[in-house]
Amino acid sequence: MSSAFDQLARPVQKWIRQQGWRELRDIQARAIRTIHETDNDLIVAASTAGGKTEAAFFPLISQVLDAPAEGGGFDLLYIGPLKALITDQAGRLEGICQEAELPVVPWHGDVSQSVKTRAMKNPRGILLITPESLEALFVRRGLEIARLFGATRAVVIDELHTVLDSERGVQLRSLLTRLELAIKRPIRRIGLSATLGDMDLARAYLRPDNAEHVTLIEADGGEAELKLQLRGYLSGGEDENTPSATDAVAAHLFEHLRGSDNLVFAGARQRVEIYADRLRNLCEQEHLPQEFYPHHASLSRDHRDFVERRLKDNSKPTTAVCTSTLELGIDIGDVTCVAQIGAPFTVAALRQRLGRSGRREGQPAILRQYAVETRLTSDSSFVDRLRLGLIRSIAMIDLLLEGWCEPPKPQALHLSTLVHQILSVIAQRGGAPANILYSVLCREGPFRQITTAMFTDVLRALGHPETGLIEQTDGGLLLLGPNGERLVEHYSFYAVFKTPEEYRLVSNGRDLGTLPIDNILSPGMMLIFSGRRWLVQEIHDREKVIMVKPAKAGVPPVFGGDPGEIHDKVIARMFEVLERDTKPLYMDANALEMLEEARLNYAQMGFTNARLINLGEETSIIATRVGTMKTTTLALALRGFGFSVGQYDGFLQVEAGEETPPLTEVLNRIGEGEDVDLFAGAENLLTEKFHPYLTRELLELDAISSRLEPQCLVRVVEALGS
Amino acid sequence: MSKLKPRERDAIVQALRAGVVPKLGLRHIQVGRVREIEELVKDMERIADGGSAIRFVIGEYGSGKTFFMNLIRLVALEKGLVVMFADLAPDRRIHATGGQARGLYAEMARNLSTRTKPDGGALASVVERFVSQAHRDAEEKDVPTGTIIRERLSHFEELTGGFEFAEVIRRYWEGHENGDDELKSAALRWLRGEFATRTDARKALGVRTIVDDASVYDHLKLMSAFVCEAGYKGLLVGLDEMVNLFKLTSSQARNANYEQILRILNDVLQGSAENLGFLMGGTPEFLMNTRRGLYSYEALQSRLAENTFARDGLVDLSGPVVRLASLTPEDLFVLLANVRRVMQDDETALSDTALEAFMNHCSDRIGEAYFRTPRNTVTAFVNLLSVLEQNPGVEWSDLIEKIDVSEDRGEDMSEVEETTGAQPNGDDDLISFKL
Repeated sequence: MSSAFDQLARPVQKWIRQQGWRELRDIQARAIRTIHETDNDLIVAASTAGGKTEAAFFPLISQVLDAPAEGGGFDLLYIGPLKALITDQAGRLEGICQEAELPVVPWHGDVSQSVKTRAMKNPRGILLITPESLEALFVRRGLEIARLFGATRAVVIDELHTVLDSERGVQLRSLLTRLELAIKRPIRRIGLSATLGDMDLARAYLRPDNAEHVTLIEADGGEAELKLQLRGYLSGGEDENTPSATDAVAAHLFEHLRGSDNLVFAGARQRVEIYADRLRNLCEQEHLPQEFYPHHASLSRDHRDFVERRLKDNSKPTTAVCTSTLELGIDIGDVTCVAQIGAPFTVAALRQRLGRSGRREGQPAILRQYAVETRLTSDSSFVDRLRLGLIRSIAMIDLLLEGWCEPPKPQALHLSTLVHQILSVIAQRGGAPANILYSVLCREGPFRQITTAMFTDVLRALGHPETGLIEQTDGGLLLLGPNGERLVEHYSFYAVFKTPEEYRLVSNGRDLGTLPIDNILSPGMMLIFSGRRWLVQEIHDREKVIMVKPAKAGVPPVFGGDPGEIHDKVIARMFEVLERDTKPLYMDANALEMLEEARLNYAQMGFTNARLINLGEETSIIATRVGTMKTTTLALALRGFGFSVGQYDGFLQVEAGEETPPLTEVLNRIGEGEDVDLFAGAENLLTEKFHPYLTRELLELDAISSRLEPQCLVRVVEALGS
Repeated sequence: MSKLKPRERDAIVQALRAGVVPKLGLRHIQVGRVREIEELVKDMERIADGGSAIRFVIGEYGSGKTFFMNLIRLVALEKGLVVMFADLAPDRRIHATGGQARGLYAEMARNLSTRTKPDGGALASVVERFVSQAHRDAEEKDVPTGTIIRERLSHFEELTGGFEFAEVIRRYWEGHENGDDELKSAALRWLRGEFATRTDARKALGVRTIVDDASVYDHLKLMSAFVCEAGYKGLLVGLDEMVNLFKLTSSQARNANYEQILRILNDVLQGSAENLGFLMGGTPEFLMNTRRGLYSYEALQSRLAENTFARDGLVDLSGPVVRLASLTPEDLFVLLANVRRVMQDDETALSDTALEAFMNHCSDRIGEAYFRTPRNTVTAFVNLLSVLEQNPGVEWSDLIEKIDVSEDRGEDMSEVEETTGAQPNGDDDLISFKL
């Protein structure tokens, strides 16, 4: 084997030989060399199951074994976004570490207390932890951080691309900074990531002060062969004899997926439930063994474990109908085919999903995209006429084939996360003066856009007697106030993202999973959950439990879920698709017919030449041709003038109000740079967990920084005129 | 006043410069607070006579709480008491479940001092003194020493944890007699609260309990009984930086600590503790804040409330709370003069005009706060004198305007800057930030 192999410690070499590997993969060899020869931070980018984990841990474990730490503390820290991923990785690492007698400690909400206590007493080896559990360590054992991580050589961040600029990502960065401050030295950071559009942003994320010294190791392309088909289905309409679109899609899935391992991404949890139910019925009708199972975050752990195990087990063909839960790197072996019902929101997600299939040599990756559109009638809306869902699917597949995917978003203010971190630092240190908070979080930490003036505003908002999150001693020290104490004491504090209150579904004393409470339920109602039908018997509000029993019929529950954010480039491509007349080879006849229909309607409505179309006296449609952030900004600006505005992919439907000035005049005024009040339409600004504690001014700043682009407003409007 | 020894002089100068309280020679610089000191001296006498006392020394950051407590500590040593002093910290508190209370006890035991060993580490000599006395008595009466020890400590068994305590002392004697140093040091480690688990203690000493979080106060009582048996007059326990309890994040933890304080207070005030005194130092906030201070605990508030008649210049020093009044300008002048006398010879001494100029300068810079908090003023003054001493050509009038005195905030602001290397400028509005 290669020279890289010789750089590894004996027990690691032995393990590799036992696996019967003939050689190390390219990224592994390069990572081993980089870690051995430099102190650089590192990003290893490869597709799922590309050997990233081993690439990072082979050399790191070798270093630990070659030069054991003198002091106590965990040698390596691994941070993963999901509990399941941690359990899974712990299993893999245990194999490697068994020979070396290095303990592997998984640490998250489901790990038993005894394991944690033991590890606390004698911390060593590899700690695998979620950002939330790490937060909990800071809050509850703030004084012990230096002891626990005194010997830590490196921190490995898994699935780096999923956390980049989200609330959790910012939280994680803040925790890493606080960790380094606590032990008074930098720790090598290693990011494991899928291939991203713009890797420079990921490097800056990993080490903001020294991005150029982050080594990037990217797997060579070598993309497998890709087979794909886009099928179109029409739903609704008078014809009673043809099966509904859902049934047709389910039947097609049943026919083509049965007998192998597959993943069906159905979007929202509600749709996951519907399809899982249909497919289950089909199996029962045909008297075939059940092999279709739902998988989403509301289902109980037991059930999810069961599905994951079945997927891994090659002897039983299994198809999981899932939300984005199975998008991340939980090892479920490889699947034959990936089906996607409805258009995804990002190309990156589509790519990640597709990466699940075609991993074995010689096996093509297979993508089945199902586009379900409404049958047109005389009063169909323009959205249906333009078949925006289908067009988006085409645009995304196009971009996927070109190898493009969305870059991470630029920095937002993240005031909600800032509030969380302020409370956490105060709890960790048992009180902190304002200037130390500012240094830790805003100068060293990730909140660099926050000015001191804004920071004091945030502190004042938190210290307002009614908010009562923090209070101040005569000496200037900031402490947790009465509400702050209550908040921090509860375990739900550790997560920086919103977790809706959910009810537990119980049948015959068995947990089925959880259901968010935005559902209106009452005893006697039917619902579909976990791919089966249930009758609601009792609802206990205080215990948050719903008792159900199996039933024959039911409606699927509504699950919460956010609409995604579509990138400018995807929208631009959608318009290209509408204006070209090429017929993609991968589309079936139905889909092609629908595409033709859409193009015809597009031209008929006049969008080929104009960007602003009047549908009647009051109603107009604006083709903004830009992504969600910019389109939303324009929509808010128009609402501020009194219009009611509906928002679609790259389009706005504008209805004039009673006393609104003419739309063209308003657009001209915006185009000339007139100041517009984006928040006059009383937009709900409470989108993140700690938003309710902030003032309206701060919330507006936060919204502008994260979800809107006011600076582009003039340009967008100007483009309309041309 | 007695003569200043060179050793004391160095200790004073070093300590004042660092802004901490010197351990030696306090009487050379002490000014004011005469009545408070008188009152506390009476307390020490009461402890020595078999009574008990508790005092909360309350004052702003830098107002001289620690100085005052150290002064009382020296008085206590003179009176033949044993003293155990420690600062509270986030990981050292009176009540806890994660070993923090034991940590406080261990710190106190390490700092245990007697008149002949005023700098701490005197536990071994206290035990040694007890054992050798018992040995002497045993020889006189011609009985085995073990019996004498058993006899002397027999009344311990009535106290909580007393049996095990007596057992450990007997083990020490065993080690002493058999030349088993390991056993001796294990016994001392036990007494210092350094055993973390019962299993370890059992292996080393054969006893089934240790000093743990729950039994800290019980062991202080045992210790006071023990030092009396060893021939001392009693025990004074000093706890400084009580504000750390105020800073605890969890209200449960705060209340648990205040409950312990209540227990101590009740024992002392009702007279059920013997030869035992407590001094606790904290800021007014620690005492008065009704949400998280001592006053947040109802039972303590009623017991600690100050005499409502004692105001407008009237004082009542008999209550458990001793408030350190601000120094008057005259006091401060005497203080600086004392520092001058400690540091300089009579011939080269700075003139009184210079002292006044210095005081005016400080008063201009930080206003009336400097009477309340002499720490920074004294530090700046000591620095000024050092420069003058080492640079014979320099006049005080050249330096005085350049002296930088800042208001005392009590918190160490330099901590983050040193770990992060961040520049402190630009954060002025944050340092003075008020909600």
